[in-house]
Amino acid sequence: MTDLLLLLPVLIITSGAILLMLLAAFENVRDEIACFGAMVIFLFGFCMQLFGLGQGDARIFSGVFNEMLVGNSFTAVAGLIITACGFFTCLSSHTYFKQNRFITSEYYALTAFAASGMMLLTMAQELITAFISLEIMSLAIYVLVGMHRRNIKATEAVLKYLMLGAFAGGFFAMGSALMYGGTGSTKFAEIAGFISANGFFASSILVVGAFFILVALLFKIAAFPFHAWVVDVYDGAAMPVTGFMATALKTAVFAVFANFLILDGGLQASWVEYLFYIAVFTMFGGNLIAIGQNSLKRMLAASGIVHSGYLLIALVAFTSRDFTANVIVFYLAAYAVATMGMFAALSYLSGEDEQRITFDDFRGLAKVRPFSAAAISIFLLSMAGIPPTVGFMGKFYIIVNAINAGQVLLAVLAIVSSVISMWYYLRLIITMYFHEARDDFAVAKSPLAQATTFFLVFCVFALSLLPVSV
Amino acid sequence: MIAELLFSVFAVLAIIGGLGLVLARHPMNGAICLVMTMISLAGLYSLLSAKLIFVLQLIVYAGAIMSLILFIIMFLNIRKEDLPKEEWRWAYYLGGIVVIAPVGLLMTKAVKALPGSEASIMGNGFGGVKEVGVVLFREWLLPFEIVSILLLVSLVGAVVLAGKRRVEQ
Repeated sequence: MTDLLLLLPVLIITSGAILLMLLAAFENVRDEIACFGAMVIFLFGFCMQLFGLGQGDARIFSGVFNEMLVGNSFTAVAGLIITACGFFTCLSSHTYFKQNRFITSEYYALTAFAASGMMLLTMAQELITAFISLEIMSLAIYVLVGMHRRNIKATEAVLKYLMLGAFAGGFFAMGSALMYGGTGSTKFAEIAGFISANGFFASSILVVGAFFILVALLFKIAAFPFHAWVVDVYDGAAMPVTGFMATALKTAVFAVFANFLILDGGLQASWVEYLFYIAVFTMFGGNLIAIGQNSLKRMLAASGIVHSGYLLIALVAFTSRDFTANVIVFYLAAYAVATMGMFAALSYLSGEDEQRITFDDFRGLAKVRPFSAAAISIFLLSMAGIPPTVGFMGKFYIIVNAINAGQVLLAVLAIVSSVISMWYYLRLIITMYFHEARDDFAVAKSPLAQATTFFLVFCVFALSLLPVSV
Repeated sequence: MIAELLFSVFAVLAIIGGLGLVLARHPMNGAICLVMTMISLAGLYSLLSAKLIFVLQLIVYAGAIMSLILFIIMFLNIRKEDLPKEEWRWAYYLGGIVVIAPVGLLMTKAVKALPGSEASIMGNGFGGVKEVGVVLFREWLLPFEIVSILLLVSLVGAVVLAGKRRVEQ
């Protein structure tokens, strides 16, 4: 029964996706109906995931599935973030596609498929399962990015993402094969057992395999040497899709990254020195890219790189398994709330055919739409890490975690980086508040994206009150 | 002895095929090179006594998928003047080698550290349909099941990206 409860959210989202896919084939099922269907499915999955929260740590159907899936509070919270992101993406898509007509009703089926791949990814305890889940997620996202076939930017984005993603997928598959060759198993638990018995450097093929898998995962989270794609891909995708990629995809990949890296102290300790530099370069490289951007979407993409850097700090500064896992999911939730809210706001404010996307387009927004401008400011302040928002608490826990683990330098660099990031977050606030409006900011008459934005403003404050056990 | 000789032949052919795929200018030549790699890989599988995978590699990959790819290239009717001018191709090759070389060195180091072993025919029907099926459904049920979701996603994705749209404005 516990097993079923833990697996139920994935089953709901997957069967919902299949149902939406079948519905999309009917002539008289318009995309609006598909949208409401997807909302119901995500909401239902979210509620079921809430039930699964207190179910403890279990290997799901360990007999039939051969201990390849695990359900615990970490995967449950990651699942909650993913389903919530899916739900809010559907809400903002409803408004967005009123102003940008290029949707087909398969859009929502693909969103649900992507979410099911992500949830499987967080639960995977085995490399081949992780690889297949990763590909389910990535394939659905590729198609979502390339949804707008007439848009040359979207085409460029999907081509770049597909090519580089295939490369990363190849690295992951190669790495799994080498790890199997080195340890005789693809299960995380058995690999950890091998490493703790023989040491990480006992088998050179294992080292190379782990390196390849790390490359693939670093690519997916857009960490430093593999971050170049992210700005163009986010820029080419539709607003809600970009929001979904920035939040849910990052959550899923970080969950599997943490599962893989922290599975054994030996594996983590061998890479920690390199991850230190990757974290530092990711933070500062992302900041440099973000400062130079004029388009809001590109700025948010680059700031996503910076946030990946903060999350890498949590992986470098590994104290205790529970606390580090809590810190990571808390930060992911904090980042997801603010980013999702930002993209929901942009989904309705960008107007017809995404005409308002640069900083200058948002001049004087506060004079015309004071509430929207206030909401955007709150999201930006949360991303920058100003109290009393959830972003501040997330950064606070990450820095506490780093100091507890003795990584004081990393903690100081994280604070410096977040001070630098104020530059581009405050720039938008200044543009909105201290200029005269030239635009009337007319938007579509669909209140769902607005409702999402204001609900997420509430979440920014509500989640910051959530205690994390230290 | 013969097994080792066969291994070397297949391995070299597979690498030549792979190189040809990357270096050939016309897609048709590239596809033919890929067929060569696929067949050599089938040979390598047979050396490992993987009967079922050997057959699948020949029928599905070298046979069905490659002929589909060849058909598509023929449909496109690509002529020499359709191909893009690649004036900087040597620079790209050089850059590629610089990037790939460290990874290749790492791989050779790892492979060299492996203990050598004799290739011999495995008994007990190893690699047969029944044995693979038993392993697949007893130990690898979950990956087997979620692959069907993956195929479904790629199917829907192909329809969305390439199919005719109902609402195209």
